[in-house]
Amino acid sequence: MLTLIKREIEDAIVLVLGAVIFTAIVITVWVSCVYRGMSVLNIGSWPTAAFIFTIICCVMGIWQMRTDRTKKISSFLLTLPVTRRRILIARIITGFLVILLVLVPITITALVLLQRFGPPIPLYKDFFLDIFVATFLMSFACYCIGLHNGWSSGKIASTLGSLLLTLIFLPLVIIKGISPQALVIVSLFIAALLIRTWQKFMTTSL
Amino acid sequence: MNDDVIKIENLTKFFEGRCVLDGVNLNVPRGCIYGLLGRNGAGKTTIIRILLGLESPTRGKTYLYDSDSANLSAKLKGKIGYVAEAHNLIQNYRVGRLVSLCKSLSSKWNQEFFDHLLQTFRLPMDRKVSQLSTGMRAQLNLALAMARDPELLILDDPTLGLDTVARRQFLELAIDLLQKDGRTILFSSHILSDVERIADRIGILVAGKLVVDCTLEELKNRVKKLRLIFSEQAPQNLHLTEIINQQMQDRELVVTIANYSPQKQAVIDTFKPVTCTEMPMTLEDIFIECTKTEPLPLTVET
Amino acid sequence: MKSKIKYAVKVFAAGFIVIVLLSIPLFWLRLICQEILGENLPSEAKCINMQPCGLVPPEIENDPNVVYHSAVSVNMNTGALPFYGIINCFIAKPAFNNYFSEKNWSYFDKKLGLIVCAYAPRMNVDGKVTLAKAVTLYVGPDGISETKAQNLGRFVAPIVDTGNIHSASLVLTGYDRGLRCFFAVNLEKRVVTKGPQLSKDDFHKPIQIGRISGILRSEFNWSPPMTEVKDTNEKGDSARERKPVQSKPIINYTYSAGQYELVLDESGQIDLLDKETLVFAGKAGFLPAPQTLYDSKDSVTPKDLLDYDVLPLTLKTDNKYSGCFVKTVSREGTSMALAVFDEKGRMIKCDYTKTQSSSGKTIESSVAFFFFSPAAPVLTITRYLLENLQPPILSMASFVTADSFFAVAGHNALFILPNSFVAMSARRIDRTITAKLFLAMIYIILPSLVLSIWLTCKVARDAAMVGLSDKARFYWKIGTILFGLTAYITYRLTRPSITLVTCENCGKLRRPDMENCHRCGSKWHVPELTAPAWRVVD
Repeated sequence: MLTLIKREIEDAIVLVLGAVIFTAIVITVWVSCVYRGMSVLNIGSWPTAAFIFTIICCVMGIWQMRTDRTKKISSFLLTLPVTRRRILIARIITGFLVILLVLVPITITALVLLQRFGPPIPLYKDFFLDIFVATFLMSFACYCIGLHNGWSSGKIASTLGSLLLTLIFLPLVIIKGISPQALVIVSLFIAALLIRTWQKFMTTSL
Repeated sequence: MNDDVIKIENLTKFFEGRCVLDGVNLNVPRGCIYGLLGRNGAGKTTIIRILLGLESPTRGKTYLYDSDSANLSAKLKGKIGYVAEAHNLIQNYRVGRLVSLCKSLSSKWNQEFFDHLLQTFRLPMDRKVSQLSTGMRAQLNLALAMARDPELLILDDPTLGLDTVARRQFLELAIDLLQKDGRTILFSSHILSDVERIADRIGILVAGKLVVDCTLEELKNRVKKLRLIFSEQAPQNLHLTEIINQQMQDRELVVTIANYSPQKQAVIDTFKPVTCTEMPMTLEDIFIECTKTEPLPLTVET
Repeated sequence: MKSKIKYAVKVFAAGFIVIVLLSIPLFWLRLICQEILGENLPSEAKCINMQPCGLVPPEIENDPNVVYHSAVSVNMNTGALPFYGIINCFIAKPAFNNYFSEKNWSYFDKKLGLIVCAYAPRMNVDGKVTLAKAVTLYVGPDGISETKAQNLGRFVAPIVDTGNIHSASLVLTGYDRGLRCFFAVNLEKRVVTKGPQLSKDDFHKPIQIGRISGILRSEFNWSPPMTEVKDTNEKGDSARERKPVQSKPIINYTYSAGQYELVLDESGQIDLLDKETLVFAGKAGFLPAPQTLYDSKDSVTPKDLLDYDVLPLTLKTDNKYSGCFVKTVSREGTSMALAVFDEKGRMIKCDYTKTQSSSGKTIESSVAFFFFSPAAPVLTITRYLLENLQPPILSMASFVTADSFFAVAGHNALFILPNSFVAMSARRIDRTITAKLFLAMIYIILPSLVLSIWLTCKVARDAAMVGLSDKARFYWKIGTILFGLTAYITYRLTRPSITLVTCENCGKLRRPDMENCHRCGSKWHVPELTAPAWRVVD
């Protein structure tokens, strides 16, 4: 399994490096702004950044599956002592790790800045954690949309379809907010997408 | 435990409403070299892909080592080496990276043997797979399959793209592998002379069915091509069953019979041919007879 | 069995994805209709003006010097923006988690069971009032301390109006739902006064104290009676130049309940709490029910209202509580009520939003919203049809749970719609439950049922053609009737994607992955493949 994850990461090295650079830029800009006097609670640009990040996650899912289809990676790997289940799990774990690679450092930075510069009431710490969880779930959901649709035949259809579904799905967080209800819906949505992707991947001819 | 390494039961496969395999039954025992033959589009590659779980059957089941092909475990796959017809390697990887990937995913890896193969085939480690020639890709594919020391080797036209020397080297490798006890090979090829050299059993696919499934020796004994010359016009109907092919010209009748037996010879003798000569057939001849759809022109021996 | 479970899981997974992805665009389309309907509602139907307001004593109101009588006006905001979940989850956080500045904040620490706040004593420095350095205070029901002492007691679930904590009085009044008693905290004197515990049979369930309002905290416009300010420079009445009448209030006032605090109960009743004794001192009023599309209850609870606001009034004539104005906005946000209560909690006046039709007839704003505003019929029908795209089972769930959800939740509902026409009809009081159900089925969700039945026929036909088992077909029919369009889309996504071939026997399309034809039962035969009759096998 580790070999497969390593393979996925090496194949997606551009995305992984991009995620690291993106995280570094966000943290650097934010820390410098806070040290220059901006309120740590000023998260006005977070929705835009989160929106762009979720789109990128969707594209990452599409890219992983399309690359597999076009380069016939799974059909080669299946000739080795590897099962479809392991290939898909490794792929999902890679996407999961890339998302965490971006969100965890940013959230840790946020909590540290809040501790240092923020108001002493715990409301804002809870807010930041809620935002982190919601952003993580939405990003992962969009990634799963990309995985699910990327496996369909047709490059343009899968890309456009995924982006359309992502744009339809993302406003859920505007409608429902970051409530437990919304998080349950998103979690179930992720589970349903993974089940569908799993079933498709397990039964498609390679 | 069942000694059949490969079991295929009533395998049917449809592609977009078109039937390719129609109830194929096949067993390959352990230690056997099975040559699977058929014309283009007969379904050989389809059978192999279904066996390996790359394709799902429309009906029927296939088993490898008593495990359903759809649910092969990684441990079981470690026992299987596969060389695909299209040499489906990951094109944008360098050879070195591909080798390293195969090595880390394999349960068994014979590095010494692999190095020997690399040297023999002279494969460059730093070049991308897409930059290798077809023959080199075939060699790499072969080397990756063989280095895992598989108990079951499945080869789908493995010598496609290999030059004569490389082909001979491959055959010798295959024979080396055969020396080891309990190794099984299933392979399909269009170069029947190679198949004839090493195969124990032969299977021939025609119209979605396995019309031949026996040992090579048995096949040669049971499929006979007879040239009959009659004093007058050759009879239209010999009243024989299992006639594979029949060509008639005036007094001459060339008939290919399946499951030749003395009883069938006796039936032929009742028509009192002037001469009845057996025309020796190679595997290639038998294959052509079994699979052709229209009679070949009669060649008159001089 | 395993394959059946796999198929069921596949169907449920696909169904959930479809229902989520279908509900979101339907939500936005319904919202657009709602917003346009709200925009098109005449402005007169979105406000209430009362003049005179009724709270000023007649001798002052009817003073001959009065040029403008007292008046109160409120406006209704028909926009749904504040009720979006993302905004709501920031605005509607538990009370008194407040941060205004480093010297001005407070929150309830659940783990400690104490209210934690910053207290900065006021100092008079050279005639100017400034704030000294803030200290952190821990407030419990039994005391205040600068440390987290055990002897402070522990709150369980306090409700506090923190507006007071930052006012000059520095007194914080609250109620603890666990301890069932009121308390008053004086930060300056560092004293906590606890009121008597409410008895077990006391029906009171306070939910807000002090400043009573919903999420929006709308502005009341109240003006006292005004007298004319005589301009001493004016030289007689000039016919050529008349300046606007300058006026000033005839009476001073404050927006407070004087010696009381207002307490809003879960039932919608507003009570007066004596600040000294911390016991109930009488009623202040109740939340009036706005007039909705269908006749609904006379009084409402806060849960049933999209917004409410209470403005207490203390006139400086006697510095006693004079009464209050109460504004409520209906669940759907289409109508508003304004009631005036005197100091004893008796309703003096009550008015509702309304407008005039072209024929001069007075129409309630909720009716005008849906039918009489520009483009209202088209938008209402559009919204009605969009609601009918919801699965029938969810429409019936909306009917059954019409009163269960908070009004605010109705504006960000995806699956069950508390603000839909079917839910509105469930809340009407002039019909029995059976009659309501019948009317809902026949009139309100009839298009949804027709669509479901039509789709069920399509699914049944296709399922028979594709060769699904009888049981599977049965479940799909039931599912499509219950879930309508969602089930149909799910069926299309999950139906076996297998190319059918013509059966040699019956000539109909059959599945190649089945041994026998699912139509005529004949065995498999592939005529296009003519294998030879001979075999050479062991």
